[in-house]
Amino acid sequence: MAAAIETKKLTKSYKSKAHGMVDVVKQLDLHVEEGEIFGFLGPNGAGKTTTIKMLLSIIEPSAGEGYVLGKELGDFDVHKIISYVPERPYYYEYMTGMEILKFYGSLFGITDTARMDMLLEKVNLHRDKTKTISQFSKGMQQRIGLAQALLNDPKLLFLDEPTGGLDPIAHREIRDLILSFREEGRTVFISSHELSEVELICDRVAIINHGVLERQGKLTELLKGGRVEMSVSGVKRGLFEDMKLTDSNIHEIPQGFLFDVPEESDINSIVDGVRAHGGAIISVVPRKKRLEDLFVETVSAKK
Amino acid sequence: MRPIIAIAKATVGEAIRRRVLLIILFVAVMLLFVAPLLGVLSARSEKTVLTGFVLGIVQLSSAVIAITLTVYMLPNEVERRTIYTIISKPVQRYQFLLGKYFGAVSALALMMGLMACVTIIEFGILQNDWAKGVELLQGIGMFFIQMSLLASVAMCLSTFVAPLVNFFLTGGIYLIGTLGYAFFDSFNKNPNAPAFSKGLAWFVSTILPNFASYNVQNKLINPETMITNPVQYAVNAVIYGAVYIMIMLIAGMLIFDRREV
Repeated sequence: MAAAIETKKLTKSYKSKAHGMVDVVKQLDLHVEEGEIFGFLGPNGAGKTTTIKMLLSIIEPSAGEGYVLGKELGDFDVHKIISYVPERPYYYEYMTGMEILKFYGSLFGITDTARMDMLLEKVNLHRDKTKTISQFSKGMQQRIGLAQALLNDPKLLFLDEPTGGLDPIAHREIRDLILSFREEGRTVFISSHELSEVELICDRVAIINHGVLERQGKLTELLKGGRVEMSVSGVKRGLFEDMKLTDSNIHEIPQGFLFDVPEESDINSIVDGVRAHGGAIISVVPRKKRLEDLFVETVSAKK
Repeated sequence: MRPIIAIAKATVGEAIRRRVLLIILFVAVMLLFVAPLLGVLSARSEKTVLTGFVLGIVQLSSAVIAITLTVYMLPNEVERRTIYTIISKPVQRYQFLLGKYFGAVSALALMMGLMACVTIIEFGILQNDWAKGVELLQGIGMFFIQMSLLASVAMCLSTFVAPLVNFFLTGGIYLIGTLGYAFFDSFNKNPNAPAFSKGLAWFVSTILPNFASYNVQNKLINPETMITNPVQYAVNAVIYGAVYIMIMLIAGMLIFDRREV
């Protein structure tokens, strides 16, 4: 699959009075494939927004190179086929939803009001098109942001914290819209702190910390390594040593023992072993590795 | 050109809804309406005082509007992140800056136009002195060029200076360029002046814009000024203003193009 975004040793440095030259983004090698939803994660100050600004050619990299939809960073033409919705954007409050679309459309030379109507309908704002932005809720403002971002029919969308500060219903609406972008063949690059959201919708993710890319890959691969938690009764602690359970954590509980093993362990053999020794299985609970675990593990390892 | 016009239109829409500007405009219009009452308080010719007072109100309020309007324009767009949704589209930074500037000047034109209408009502319709009304309109016209020049200075400075600093800096430049220009200019031309003072005078009279030349209609401020060829004078003032505005905008564009936002 072709790369929508490719960066090689992309670096951004700033001069700091206290520390001299500081690398905000260090030798970043990103790879985002066309047609996927890519999650770009990292704690506050990790360099996410700086990276997005470099990819949008709003700021220049200090070193390295990058390509967006096959065009080198700084190529002005790419702005015609990409879009960006920043975190908590402000839109001119006196304008109505339709006027916002007309304003952003005029920056491209788009005057097709039928398309604007269609976009308002897509983001479920067609009934509110005469309301001014000042009358819009946060969720509605985010949706008009997505509508303006779709005006030029972009191949690649950059969304910075698209669900930040929204209520659960608005969350869901935005999530469904983002999923529809993938169905339409667009590439979506999301920078977010909403890990559960990212886990639900992203195909691949990258985790950046202190400007350094720590992890990058398919979610299914990165989230390998879950555990299976079992509680058993009627057995003695010595049994676990006899069964040679490697990489397990064993805790005594009132009913017996609670232990966990890697998800790839042969659970049936363990169950059979416990039963063969007169024990009883109380529960078997698979604990899937979550993105939050991976994120915390990655970020705290560097602290 | 298309993005510049779109940004300028949006800027006008925002500017004419800014409460602080509307309050200044409201106070100015109220003062213009009560201006005839103040003419009788002066020992000098009532008409001279009245026209001077009217032009003074227009000049002062327009200057405050021009500075307040432009110093926050770029910083607000960055702070509110609107700029990112615009320059991530096929819009060059210089187009963004020009759009903001022309928007500011258009909003100024609307507000000064309203003040001009009030003076026409006052002199032309209520006092039936159309000649004075036309003279005042010419004065307001000159002020419009002055304010466009002032806005370009504020816009240029706003590309690298914080809004509050810019407010006082632009205000200071305006005061020096309006009240102190003639003094510094004569000092600069004085061969007996000390070198340092002469250098300072040269800097002020050459580098800083000459706002005073747009103020000649006000006989209260410039009682001695005689213009033999008003058309030529106006043409020169317009050319000077246009060149200076161009220099300010080009400098602003170059700085803004390199600035990390």
